[in-house]
Amino acid sequence: MKVGLFIPCYVDVVFPQVGMACYRLLRHLGVDVVYPQGQTCCGQPMANAGFQTEALPLAEKNDDMFAGFDYVVAPSVSCTAFIRVNYPGLLKEAGHECRIASHTMDIVEFLHDVVKPKGPLGKFPYKVSLHNSCHGVRELGLSSPSEIVEPKFNKIKDLLSLVEGIEVVEPERADECCGFGGMFSIEEVAVSKQMGLNKFERHKATGARFITGADCSCLMHMAGVAAKEKATDGIEFRHVVEILASGL
Amino acid sequence: MSTSHSKAAKKFLENRNYADWHDQTFWGVRVKRDSMAYQLPEWERLRQKASEIKRHTLTNIDTYLERFSDAAEKNGVVVHWAKDAQEFNEIVYGILKDHGVKKMVKSKSMLTEECEMNPYLEERGIDVVETDLGERILQLGGQRPSHIVMPATHLSHHDVGDLFEEKLHTEKGNHDPTYLTYEARLSLRDEFLTAQAGMTGGNFGVAETGDIVVCTNEGNADMSTSVPKLQISVIGLEKIIPDYEALSVFVRLLARSATGQPSTVYTSHFRKKRPGGEELHYVIVDNGRSQWLGDPQHWETLKCIRCGSCMNTCPVYRWSGGYSYSYFIPGPLGINLGMLRDPKKYSGNVSACSLCLSCQCTCPVKINLGDQIYMWRQTLDGIGCANKEKKMACKAMDKIFTSVPLYKFMTSKAYLLNIVPGFIKDSALNPWAYGHKMMTFPKKTFHEQISEYLKDEPK
Amino acid sequence: MSTRKEIIDRCRASIKTRHARPSLEDLHPETYPDTLVKFIAMAESVGCNVARVGSEDEIDDILRSVYPDAKVVASNLPSVKSATVNPDTVEDAQALNHTDVGVVRAFLGVAENGSVWIPQTMRERDVCFISENLVAVMPESAVVNNMHEAYGKITEEEYGYDSFSTSGYGVFVAGPSKTADIAQVLVKGAQAARGMTLILVK
Repeated sequence: MKVGLFIPCYVDVVFPQVGMACYRLLRHLGVDVVYPQGQTCCGQPMANAGFQTEALPLAEKNDDMFAGFDYVVAPSVSCTAFIRVNYPGLLKEAGHECRIASHTMDIVEFLHDVVKPKGPLGKFPYKVSLHNSCHGVRELGLSSPSEIVEPKFNKIKDLLSLVEGIEVVEPERADECCGFGGMFSIEEVAVSKQMGLNKFERHKATGARFITGADCSCLMHMAGVAAKEKATDGIEFRHVVEILASGL
Repeated sequence: MSTSHSKAAKKFLENRNYADWHDQTFWGVRVKRDSMAYQLPEWERLRQKASEIKRHTLTNIDTYLERFSDAAEKNGVVVHWAKDAQEFNEIVYGILKDHGVKKMVKSKSMLTEECEMNPYLEERGIDVVETDLGERILQLGGQRPSHIVMPATHLSHHDVGDLFEEKLHTEKGNHDPTYLTYEARLSLRDEFLTAQAGMTGGNFGVAETGDIVVCTNEGNADMSTSVPKLQISVIGLEKIIPDYEALSVFVRLLARSATGQPSTVYTSHFRKKRPGGEELHYVIVDNGRSQWLGDPQHWETLKCIRCGSCMNTCPVYRWSGGYSYSYFIPGPLGINLGMLRDPKKYSGNVSACSLCLSCQCTCPVKINLGDQIYMWRQTLDGIGCANKEKKMACKAMDKIFTSVPLYKFMTSKAYLLNIVPGFIKDSALNPWAYGHKMMTFPKKTFHEQISEYLKDEPK
Repeated sequence: MSTRKEIIDRCRASIKTRHARPSLEDLHPETYPDTLVKFIAMAESVGCNVARVGSEDEIDDILRSVYPDAKVVASNLPSVKSATVNPDTVEDAQALNHTDVGVVRAFLGVAENGSVWIPQTMRERDVCFISENLVAVMPESAVVNNMHEAYGKITEEEYGYDSFSTSGYGVFVAGPSKTADIAQVLVKGAQAARGMTLILVK
C-alpha cells in the first residue's frame, strides 16, 4: 500500500508541524508514505469564492501527481472534501476523468478506517475540547451530524481514545460551524468573527486546556479571533495528529 | 470585499446583546426540531420519501395541475391561473370587486408577500387585515417578515408592547406576552366578524381531491374562512402533491421541522365553498416557477415546503437576522430563491453562507441548499456580479499555486510577514485582520522541513 | 390560449426527466403498543383535558364540572342537553361569537400527535374556532397510530367521510389555539379556542 501525503498550502506555510506529525505518525504505524515535492493547493479557496475554473489547473495537476498512489492522505478535512466531492465534476467538465477522488482521505478517516491502530498512541494528559469541522461531519462522515437521526459515532473521538491520559470533551452545539468558510471569512468579516468567537467561547466553557480538530483552517480561524479579542486565556490549539504523534 | 448582506450583517452585529438573543432564540427552535426528529426512528426514511415524492410530483406537475384543477372545479371551486404577480393581484382584486368586498381578513401567505398583494389592494380601497399574530404585529408596525414561519420573532415583547400601546391602546407598560396576545385576539375578533372575505395561502394542494390544505397554530385561517362568506385560497403551483398518501408524509415532517411540534394545531382541508357561503376561489400562481422547473441545477429548490428549518439552523441567519438579506425570504432558502428570481438584483446574498451544510441536513425534503449556493457563486462572474477584489485575489492565487517555483519563493518568504509592523498588517487593507490577529509564520515551511528531515531519516 | 393551458404547457416544456413515485411500503412508521394510551398522553401534552365516559349521556356532567361558569353552550349533538345555541340553526356565523363552549363530534384520534379529525357536521363550522373552549366527543376505539393511517381512514364512511365530502371541509385539531409569535413565549388561545376538552366515549 503506497500512500501519497498531500499537504495543502496553508498547512505547508502556517502549520508545518502538523505535516511533520502526519509523516512521523504514518511512518510509526508502518505506512509506506511518500511526500511528492511540488505540491501547492487543492483549489478550494478559489472555488468556494465562485471561481471554480481557477481551480481546474490545480485539480488536473494534483490528479496527475497522485494518480499512482493507493491512497491520498491529507491533514485538512475541507481540502480532502473538496478533492473527493468536487474534483470529479470539475475535471469531467474539462474532459478529464478524475482518478484520485474515491481514495483521497482525511488523515483521521484513513487512520480510523484503513490503518486501524490498536494503540496506545501518544501521551497527552490534558482535557481537550473536540472541534467537529463542518466538512468533516457533513461531507466526509468523520462523525454523525447532529441533524441526522442515526446511531451516533465519532471517528476522531475513537482515535483520541487511544491516547494515554487524555480527557476528550465536546462543546455545546458540538458540530455548529466556527465561521471560517474560506473566502467567507474575508467577505463576511463580521459574521465570521462573531461565529468564531462564539464557537471559541463554547470550547472554553468546557474547561479544556486544548482545542483539537481535524481541520487546521478552523483552528487557525478560532485562534486568530480569540487572540484578536484577547480571549485566549492560555488555551492552545492542536491538530488531532499532533496529539496522536505526541511523544513519538 | 463587502456584499450587501455582509454590510447589513455588520450593522446587525453592532448590538451584541440583541444578536446573542437572536442567535439563542432561533437555535432554540433548532433544538426543538431535533427533539421531534429523534422521536421518530423512521425520520431519515421519511425525509427520503418526501424528497422522492416531490421530485416525482414536480416532474409530472403538468398532469397533477390538470388533475388538481379538474377536481377542484368538480367541487364547485372557481379556479384562476396567474402567470405573474401582476396578474395575480388583478385576479384577486377582480374577485373582491365583484363581491363588493371592503374588508378582507387573511391568514399568513408568503405568496401574497411575493406578489406584494396587500399594497396593491390597499391602494384600491380594500382593507386587508393580517390575522396571524406575527403578521398582524408587522402590519401594525409597517414592517416585513424577517422569517417565513416566525415572521416577527426578531421583535422583543417590549417592541410589541410599545407598538400595541400606540395602535391598540393597551395598558401602559404591560408587555406580558399572554396579555398582549389576548388584546390582539380581541381586536382581531372584530375584524373576523366584520370582513366580507377571507383569504388563505396553501401549504399543499391535493391533486386527487382538489383540497387545499392549510396548517396553522392560531386557527386564524379557519376563523378567516368560517365567518366571512367569500373565500379565496392562493397557492404556488409547486405546492401541488398527488394525494392523501403523499400528504401524510409532508404533514408529519412540516411542523416537526418548522417549530418542533408533532403537528400544527390546525391542519385544515378546504374543498368546497362553505354551506351558506358565497363562493370558493383558488388562484394558482406561476410567477417564474414553470421556468425554474427547467433549471437543471436549481429546480429542486421547488421541493420546498416552507418549514423554515434551514433558517433556524443557519448560523449566518442567526447572527445576521432576516432583514440583512435583500430578498423577501431570508436564509439559505431565500439566497437560492432570490437568485432564481433575479440573479443580478439578489447576488449580494450569495456571500451569506459558510458552506457548513447544516441546512441540507435538516431540510425535510432534502434540498441541497448549501451545494446550490456554491453553484450560484460559480455563476456570478459570468453575469458581471463578481466582486473585483475577490476576483483579483483568486487570479493571483491561481498564478502562485500553478507555478511551483513562484509558490516556493513566496512561501519561503512568508515568515518575513511576521516582522511587518502590526499597524500595517492589521490595517483595513487586510480584511483578515478585521476579526483576526495575524498568525505567526514559522521560519520554514513543511516542504522545506520534510526535505531536511528525509536527508537524515533512518532507513 | 387560456392561462391554464399556457402555464401547464410551460411546465411541460421545462420538465427534463420524469421521476417515479416511491412506494411507502418500506417506510415502517413507528407504531405504539397501546395507541389509546399514547393518544391520550399526546393530547394532554398539546394542551387538551381528556375525559373518558361510558356513554354520551355523561357529556353534560363533564361540561358542568369542567366549565361550571359557561353560559353559552353551542352544539348540535342531541346528547348535549345543556346546549343553549345550535350551530345548525343560528342566523349566521357571527351569531356564535361569545360562545363559551362549543361541543362537536370528532371521528378519529391520532396517537403520534394527539390531534382529532373533525369533518364539518354542522352548518356553521366556526363553532369549532370562535368558541372560547372546544369540546370534541369521540369514540375511544377510533384511534390510529399516525397520519399515514389517519389519511387512510378519513375517506371511509365510518369516519365521517359523508360529512366531509358534502360540506367540503375537515380539520385535524391538536389542542387549543396557540402562538409563540411574541418573543417565542408560548401562549394558549391565539385567534381560536383557548381551551380544549376531549371526551372519549367507550
